[in-house]
Amino acid sequence: MLDIKKNMDGSKLEFVLDGRLDTITAPQLEEEVKSSLDGISDLVFDFSGLAYVSSAGLRVLLSAQKTMNEKGSMVVKNVSDEIQEIFDVTGFSDILTIE
Amino acid sequence: MITSWDNEKLTIGLEGRIDSGNAAAIENEINDAMKEKNPSAIVLDAESLDYISSAGLRIILRLRKNHPDLSIINVKSDVYEVFEMTGFTEMMKVEKAYRKVSVEGCEEIGRGANGSIYRIDKDNVVKIYNNPDALDEIQHEREVARLALILGIPTAISYDVVKVGDSYGSVFELLNAKSFSKILQNDPDKIDWCVDEYVKMLKRIHSTEVPAGKLPDMKETVLSWAKFMQDYLPEKSGKKLLAMVEAVPHDDHMIHGDYHTKNLELQDDEVLLIDMDTLAIGHPIFELGSMFNAYRGFFEIDHDAILSFQGFSYETAEKFWYKTLAKYLETNDEAVIRSVEDKARIIGYTRLIRRSIRRGGLENKDRKAEIDLWTKELIELLDKTDTLLFENDLENVNTNRDLDIEAVEENLNAVMAFVDENLEAVGCTMKSQMQIDIAVEEIFVNICKYAYHPDKGRAVVRVEVSDEPVQVKITFIDHGKPYDPLLKDDPDVTLSADEREIGGLGIFMVKQTMDAVEYEYKDGSNILTLVKNL
Repeated sequence: MLDIKKNMDGSKLEFVLDGRLDTITAPQLEEEVKSSLDGISDLVFDFSGLAYVSSAGLRVLLSAQKTMNEKGSMVVKNVSDEIQEIFDVTGFSDILTIE
Repeated sequence: MITSWDNEKLTIGLEGRIDSGNAAAIENEINDAMKEKNPSAIVLDAESLDYISSAGLRIILRLRKNHPDLSIINVKSDVYEVFEMTGFTEMMKVEKAYRKVSVEGCEEIGRGANGSIYRIDKDNVVKIYNNPDALDEIQHEREVARLALILGIPTAISYDVVKVGDSYGSVFELLNAKSFSKILQNDPDKIDWCVDEYVKMLKRIHSTEVPAGKLPDMKETVLSWAKFMQDYLPEKSGKKLLAMVEAVPHDDHMIHGDYHTKNLELQDDEVLLIDMDTLAIGHPIFELGSMFNAYRGFFEIDHDAILSFQGFSYETAEKFWYKTLAKYLETNDEAVIRSVEDKARIIGYTRLIRRSIRRGGLENKDRKAEIDLWTKELIELLDKTDTLLFENDLENVNTNRDLDIEAVEENLNAVMAFVDENLEAVGCTMKSQMQIDIAVEEIFVNICKYAYHPDKGRAVVRVEVSDEPVQVKITFIDHGKPYDPLLKDDPDVTLSADEREIGGLGIFMVKQTMDAVEYEYKDGSNILTLVKNL
């Protein structure tokens, strides 16, 4: 139950997520991210429609961040208060660029 | 200002606005009214009072000095807020003005021991209490309904108290609801479906554990009936009755106390229990006793009387009762069913005889015939029965608070839906809900991955919600390899992205967001418990 919308604009790629990022859906996103990062220097995750992130989702974000550290930048935007809490507890607020 | 005396009681009608402009004049008026004699009690009638400032409140405080039992009645809701804010509602009796509601021409949709329920419009029903002084009763019913809801029993809670003529009523929202009596009356073919749902709810009630001291103990009540009966039964029978009730073990599980088809409602697709004022704890045989009365006991001489009460025939009632027992006991063995029925009849007749005698039944020819019949039956039953206990394996009941499911990741959504459904009943914040969801996901996925690897197995997820403190406890039980996930080292959350390892966060998040996490390996099972205060 995760909708993934991809907006590509040159070297900029935006994922707009809608639904839940959990054990079931995280592999889908991981697959999408892995196969799309060639030639991308600017990665954006739009979380405005995201209701839930579990550790399986955090793993995908961390692995994307690691990749982007080598080749550009990554931003997570429109994070709900509840998900921000999760980022705070896990130290992800310090690792990710949250707008 | 209108003042009136009722013997030594003085009622003072407060009007309009009371503020610093007129407070002194009003106080003088009140003192004048008390000049002729000193009242034994003062009641301030606030029906026409629109506003009161602190100058007005001070008058009341001064009055109360000499009349500590002063009370204020008929207070409009705006003004009530002032009394509430200033703490007056805690210092003295302040009674709200109640909305007036008429039930003339309204359909009666339910009837219980203490009142009747009418539908007043499409969305709302009102329960009118027989007792004219029912405010405490209403408060009690509201509290027990709230308790039941928190413990996972779907019910309606009243949101308003109204006046219906001289009686009090409480108003509930009940949309598109139909009682099971109505369904049986309109659609007799649905009897098996009704029995299924009715028994499902009954088992749910009977497997709900109630925290100590929250509800009365039905055993005490039945013991008092049995004691009463000593004067009306042969000595041998009376003693046996008392001993059999004494021998029923204490039971902390809930019983409804008036569980018949008028008190079960179908609202859209949801089954709701209503009329909660008789809620108690106790052994299920006590429930079966009152159920027997609702379908058979009350109507054994006058079979037609059930039509006006339930809307269906005695024949339907008999059938429904028998099918219910069969379903509840999970057997088709008539001998077993009749033997439990006999135990229920012992409780049922005991209650009926006492009730009728206390209402003067021995002085009325028809009532006396009924009492004689019940007594004869009761004596016979006591002769051939030695215990009120019966085989009732509620352990196997799949209530909605126990989910037994194959531990595979594909079932994660089913586990989530189950947990969230239980949380909904308590009403928890989005933040807590997400934290609980995350913890449940981590633990369940852990079991899927490791407990039975490389084979597959099952897991039980149990959700328990308690009232004080408001907290949810979720237990995971699997029969896989002993494995304590809490022993995992916490990740260092201060490291940078490049230094951090992918993974290891799950259990850490569980530990951080739950109020308690415990693991134990017992009798071949991994038992992991999460507790979250809400």
